[in-house]
This record gives sequence, C-alpha cells and structure tokens, in this order.
Amino acid sequence: MSGLELGIYSFPLVLLLIFLRLPIGLAMLLVGLGGSWIIMGSAVPILSRLKGETYSTFSSYSLSIIPLFLLMGQFATLGGMSQALFRASNAWLGHRKGGVAMSAVGACAGFGAICGSSLATAATMAQVALPELRRYGYSNALATGTLAAGGTLGVLIPPSVVLVIYAILAEQNIAKLFLAAFVPGILAAIGYMIVIAIYVRVSPGSAGSAERMPYRERFRALAEVWPVLIVFITVVGGIYAGIFTPTEAAAIGAAGTGLIAFVNGGLTRETLIQSILMTASATAMIFFIVFGAAIYNGFLALSQLPAEAALFITSQGYNPWMVLVGILIFYLILGCFMDSMSMILLTVPIFFPIVSVLDYGLGAEEFAIWFGILVLIVVEVGLITPPVGMNLFVINSMAKDIPIIQTYRGVTPFVASDIVRTVILTAFPAISLFMVRWLY
Amino acid sequence: ATTSTLAQEVTLRLHQFLPAQANVPAHVLDPWADKVESESGGRIKIERYPAMQLGGTPPQLIDQAQDGTVDIVWTLPGSTPGRFPSTEVFELPFMMTSAEATSRAYWDLFESHMKDGEFKDLQILAAWVHGPGVIHSRTPVEKMTDLQGMKVRAPTRVITALVSELGGTPVGMPIPAVTESLSKGVIDGAVTPWEVVPSLKVQELVSNHTEFGGDHALYTTTFVLAMNKAKYDSLPDDLKKVIDANSGQDVSALFGKTQEHYDAPGRELAVARKNNIITLSAEQVDEWKAAAEPVIANWVKEADGKGIKGQALLDEARALIDKYTAK
Amino acid sequence: MKRSAAIEWLARALAILGGLVLILITVLTVVSITGRAFVRQGLGPIPGDFELVEVMTAFAVFSFLPWCQLRGAHATVDVFTSFFPAGVNRVIDLITEILMTFAITLIGWRLWYGMTDKMRYNETTFILQFPVWWGFAAAMVAVGVAILVSFYMTFIRIQEVVAGQRQFGPAEGGHS
Ligand code: NA
Ligand code: NA
Repeated sequence: MSGLELGIYSFPLVLLLIFLRLPIGLAMLLVGLGGSWIIMGSAVPILSRLKGETYSTFSSYSLSIIPLFLLMGQFATLGGMSQALFRASNAWLGHRKGGVAMSAVGACAGFGAICGSSLATAATMAQVALPELRRYGYSNALATGTLAAGGTLGVLIPPSVVLVIYAILAEQNIAKLFLAAFVPGILAAIGYMIVIAIYVRVSPGSAGSAERMPYRERFRALAEVWPVLIVFITVVGGIYAGIFTPTEAAAIGAAGTGLIAFVNGGLTRETLIQSILMTASATAMIFFIVFGAAIYNGFLALSQLPAEAALFITSQGYNPWMVLVGILIFYLILGCFMDSMSMILLTVPIFFPIVSVLDYGLGAEEFAIWFGILVLIVVEVGLITPPVGMNLFVINSMAKDIPIIQTYRGVTPFVASDIVRTVILTAFPAISLFMVRWLY
Repeated sequence: ATTSTLAQEVTLRLHQFLPAQANVPAHVLDPWADKVESESGGRIKIERYPAMQLGGTPPQLIDQAQDGTVDIVWTLPGSTPGRFPSTEVFELPFMMTSAEATSRAYWDLFESHMKDGEFKDLQILAAWVHGPGVIHSRTPVEKMTDLQGMKVRAPTRVITALVSELGGTPVGMPIPAVTESLSKGVIDGAVTPWEVVPSLKVQELVSNHTEFGGDHALYTTTFVLAMNKAKYDSLPDDLKKVIDANSGQDVSALFGKTQEHYDAPGRELAVARKNNIITLSAEQVDEWKAAAEPVIANWVKEADGKGIKGQALLDEARALIDKYTAK
Repeated sequence: MKRSAAIEWLARALAILGGLVLILITVLTVVSITGRAFVRQGLGPIPGDFELVEVMTAFAVFSFLPWCQLRGAHATVDVFTSFFPAGVNRVIDLITEILMTFAITLIGWRLWYGMTDKMRYNETTFILQFPVWWGFAAAMVAVGVAILVSFYMTFIRIQEVVAGQRQFGPAEGGHS
C-alpha cells in the first residue's frame, strides 16, 4: 500500500475508533503510530520520535496558556466574577431573547482579541459561561453550540497564530493580514449573534427569558463587574501594550482572580482543591488531544496525502473559481482530522504558488490577503463541523452530562452561518480588502 | 503512488525548520539536494520537508537524524546547549570574519577535534556559519546602555551569555518563533544575520538595525548538515561516493559563502522601508569588544571544566580564521 | 480487585501537586513581570522565566494525566455507543482501557530513553543551564503513576465485564 493510500484509509479508521468511544487523542495517536510504522517500514523512527515528543508538547510555552486560563476561569467563578459578569449582561440584555448567549459570543470575541488559539478560547469560555447559560435556562444544544462557535473567534479575530504562519509561507505582510482579518472576524461574531436571534425565535424553548430591568438595577449590576474589568483591562491592555506575553497575561489573570476570590472568601482550601482538580481534568484532556493530533499529523505529512491532494485539485485544469471552491471544500474536509497549523504548513506552500497566478481580478498582494482570509475561515470551520471538530469535543467533555448529539445539533446553524460568510467573502473580496486599501 | 522510470534505490528524508522559500532551504539545501540526485543518476531521491513538517521542535532535529526518524537534517548544534560544546568557539563574540573563511576554519577544527568526539554518532556532511550577526530592535541600539532591560532573542547559549553581559535580557527560542514573538511584544529585538530577515518579516516588525564595523562580526552561529550514520553506512559504495563528493570543507565554505551572499537583499528590504540602520564605527565597537571579554573568559573556564582545552581551542580557531581570511 | 483507595488517593494527590506547580507559575510570573517593570530601579525579571514556565507546565500536565483517566475525563464521542447495550459498552470500556494502558506505557518507556539521552549528551537549558533531563525525570514520576492508574483501571474494567455491573458512577468515569 502506498503512503497516499494509507493516508486516505486512515480517515475512516480514525472515525470508526472515535465512534467506538475511544478517547479522541488516543484514536489519533494509535492510528498515527501504526501508520508511521508502516510507511517507514520500521518502528524505530516513530519510537525514536516518541522519546522527545510528549515532553516537548507538554512543555510548550505557547500551550502553557491553556491550564493557566482554565485556572483563571475556575478562580473567576469562585470569586463570583463570572456570575457578576453574566448578571450584568443579563440585566442589560436578558429581556431580549437570546441576550445572554449573544453576550457570551461578545465575551468570546473579547477573549479572541487576546488569545491566538481556538481551543484555549473555547475551553476558557466554556468554563466561565456554560454554567451561567444553563442557569439562565438555555438549552444544552444552544449553549454548547454557541460556545464551540464562539471559540473559533480566538483565531478569527487577530492576533492569530494561523495568520502569522500563512504570512510567512505566502511571503505577505502580517500587519496587513491582521487588518484584513479584523472585519471578517467581527462579521463572524455578528453572524453568530444573528444565528442566536433566529434560533430562539424558531425554538423559543431553548432560551430562558428575564424581566426587563430598570436602569438603576442595570447600573448596579454593572458596578459589580469592576473586578472583572480590572483583570480584563490588565490582561488585554498588557498584551496590546507589549508589556507581557499571552502566557504571562494568563498567569497574571489567574493570580488576580485567585486573589479576588480569596478576598471575597470564595477561595478556601476545599474550593482550591476543587478548582485544581477541574483544571487538571480539562488540561490533561486537551493536551492529550493535541499530542495525539501531533503524532497523527506527522503521519499524514509522511503519507504525502495533503500535498498530493493539493496537487490533484490544482492540476485538473478547472477554471480559477472552481479551483478556489475545490480548495475551500478540501480544507473543510481535512479540517475534521488535522489542526489548523499543520494543514496550513502542509498545503499552503503547494496551493499558494498555483492559485496566485490564476486570474481573480485582483492584484498579487490583494489576492494573497483575500486568499489568506478565506483559508483562515475554512480551517476554523473544521473545528466545529460535526462529527469531528476539536472545539466540539472540548466543549462537550467539559459538560459530560450533555450528549454530544445535542452539541452537534446546536452548532449546525453556526456552521451554516460560517458557510454563508465564506460565500459572501468569496464573492466580494472587497470586504476583506477595504481596510487595507483604506489605510495603506 | 509515484513511479519512476529510473531505478530509485534510496529515498532520503531531509527535515529542517525554515519554510522552503527561505534562503538556506532555497539557495543552499535545494541546490545541494538536486546535485546529489543528479550525480547519483536518479538513484538517490531526497524528499524535502521544510518548516518541521514531520513534527517535533527544532532542538529535536539532531535526535531525529541520530535516531533515524529522518535521514538528513539541517540544524544548529547550539540549539541543544551542552551537547556540542566545541562548536561554541566560533560563536564567541568578535570571532568571525567572513562566513566563507570562518566556515573553512570550522571544518578544519571539526575534523581535528569533533568528528570522533561530540559528533561521533552522526555523519556530518557540512559545517558552516552564517554572515555577520546584526541587532534588530524596536527601539534603536546605538550604545550598550540601549540594550538595558531589552528582551532579545538569542539563538544559542554563547550568544545568550553575550546579550546578558551587554545588559539585555536574553530570551531563548527557536528562530521560527521569532516572528510571532516580535509581533506580540514577547521580545523587543533579535540578533540574526540580515539573510533571515525577509523570511521572518523582521523588517516589518522592527525599525532599527545595528551593524558592527571593524574586521570581526558581533557573533555568528554554527550550522551542520547531519546525516544518520547507519543510513550513510548502508549506502552502496558508489552512492556513498556521491554523498562524499558533496560534503566536506569546500561544500561547507560554499554554504557559508552562499548564505552570506543573501545578507544583501535582506538589508535592502530594510533600507527600502526606510528603517533606521545604525552602523557602529570600529572605535565604538572596541567598547563592545571590551564588554564582551568576560563572555570569552568564562567560556574558556567552562570548557576546561568539560574536558576541552578551551584556550588552546580558541587560539587554534582564531589562527585558522586568520589563515583563511588572509587568503 | 476492589476499588483501591490508595491508588485513587495517589492520582488525586499528584493532580493537586501539579495544580500547586501551576499556581507557582503564576507567582513566578507576577514576580518576574514586576521585576521587569522596575528595571531602571535595579530590579529585573527572574532569569530564565520562560524555561521555568516550560518545565513546570510539563510537570503539571503529566501529573494531570492519571487523574483525567481515573475520572474518565478524556474527550469521547458517544453518538452511537449510547444505543449499544450496557454489556457492550462495558467491553468497549475495557478495550479502551487496555489501549490506553498500551499508549501510556509506550509513552513512559520512550520518555525514559529520552531522559537517558539528555543525560548522556549533557544537554542544558539556554539561560539557567540546568540539565534538561531534570524536567524529564519529574515527568517520569508522573508517568509512573499514570501507568499504575492505567493498569488499575484495566483491572477494574475486567471486573466490571465479569460482574456485569459498573463500579464507577457517571460523574466519575462511567457514562450514563
Ligand atoms: Na485572536
Ligand atoms: Na470538523
């Protein structure tokens, strides 16, 4: 069997194992190990790789943001901060149908502006917002769907690690790409809010509703948010001002929320241990997936499947728009199995030189920016398309009592809004380009 | 599956950490791999995996070659501090002159001191250094005090020591992480040669560049092109000859020279953006040299502790660099 | 084999230790940033703060693994299996646990060689220059516990298959 065939057959195998309720990370790890063994004709290379791979994955500085933000989420809950946040948003938006879910999307967008990772955004916001959404009477489907989709804002809204990598591979200007991504990122957030508005009208039972509050009450609720604001301003402001790294910001956020929780009397020996144990489960779960995906993606690279498939799409002699649509669909499918970074690393060097010479009526640089934005969006959609989507798994395993089928149902309208947005951005490149045209 | 009309006997996987279009992959490694393939009459195929596509982190490349996870890697001995202490002698401050001469000196010293020692578990095909190191920073560095409190990415242990001796706060990270870190403000500057500037977009992220006048550069970094030993030994004699013909001192010197050649286009990009390029005069550099002395003295002392005759190695390296620079 | 209080205590204690290390990271970061903010007053960041964060994160994550497994907290998809009879699900649990034990043992075995490599080559970190193998060794201890927990869970699942009845509640590591 050729490497290419092995790569292709590995997809249904991973799916099968996952549907047999094997942990996602384990399924990818086992298939990745076996596949690498067969391709290399010997177990030695993959065994050698394992000597350092777990340690380097778990000791990654950029991933260390995950446990720290998870811990911060726990402390924020203990200190009553996340409840205060949602009381405030409820006071202002709660009488509108779906208001609390919309403010959760807003919070994801705000978090996305500081964090470059979708998984971290989804995990953190799930911890803070999921209990509140459920407390305010939101259905499991809508609550988890909202947060899974909201999590993708972590990458869609700049800064975004994926765009940095794309900029390097396609030799483009990072600042311009970040600028270009800004409007589509905001559109994503607005699209998600529209989905919520429609969702709660079609299915009124899926969102609770509250009385319209008098403004005095609203401002009182808002006044209770000050600790959240201080932490948020420190964390976000510090990153934007270049005072500290996102990981440092997460550490400071955890320290700050921990301190507030302690002062409020929410942090005791008992609750500290509970917080740690919750953080422990979620952290290990996420890192195990990341590790399994790393091994599996290494195997896919060896199989040369992404490279060959990319070449296949671009060598069919289709017209430029067909090629573009083919590429976007390819990313949607591959997005089920690979993480955004690996996909971009393996395929952009092949796609980009080929599509950049096709005629889409744009200049070379404008095309590169527009293509980058489209790729960014479709690889992120892969995180929330059922049945295999990292964000779905992360959210769902943080609420073990919710069957994943409900999460699938809840996220589907959000996926639809992503696809509508992709079509709009494909049809009207100007949306992605006007900021760059305007400011440069 | 890809089928070839030629009898392809050996596939070698070449793994490295930069994108394929960066200077070293495009102008050093690719031409080299093409040449090996053609001189083997198509019997050797070199699959090229840029940007850590096969997984792992840049410091793991050396293990990947040694263990046979891949067959050939391009890497920095300095990315695994402590493992190849002798190579550090060329990274000491104000050692290197031209990349070509310094690479020749490095190869000589490799053959006499390292081949059967630190590198005995690897087949080293080439050993070279890059062009003069430059300081790229958000705020201008005109005198040493400007480095005070500045977070600077340093590629290797010796250069880390140098940055801290000069008053900066060194941050160790692999080169591909530099772009993201500069854009997020994780670091305020980086020391690299001009050549990597375009591929890392450094000229877009900082607007100040400090060059050092005089005969000797602030620093350089050592590289190796390393092959798995068992894989090399398993080659039939005629294919071994093809590899041998494409390794050694002349190849190393060519690699160094080629890499330095691409410093100029990198510098031009910064000039085109009207970035602030500061060139320190030879007199100004003397002050830096004096400040860097303790780094050298300390390295010699440490080397002695590791069973390397530090001073002797340093003297020999200097003599070799002088010899090849004079030519 | 009955459920063992000792093993469950060990996994829990290790996770808490990992959490305390995480809290140590936050303290270290706050101190380091404060130092950095007052560079002109003669303070400075903690040297090598990045590599300390890395080595401590690695230990924390490794020490969270056994707890995650014990609680059945790994991400899974139960779309189809929820329609399977309970007996089939118990067998699936057993097979999962065996595969997990295989994977964790493999990881531990390879990590051991990774550690001895780092010892042999005298590799150190960039700034603080402490031996890289120290980090591996700390992780190795946690992986040892993870292996122990894996075998323990496998025996529990065997017992469940044989007895036709769960020992874990849904919130602990069983599923509803
Ligand atoms: Na972001
Ligand atoms: Na998906």
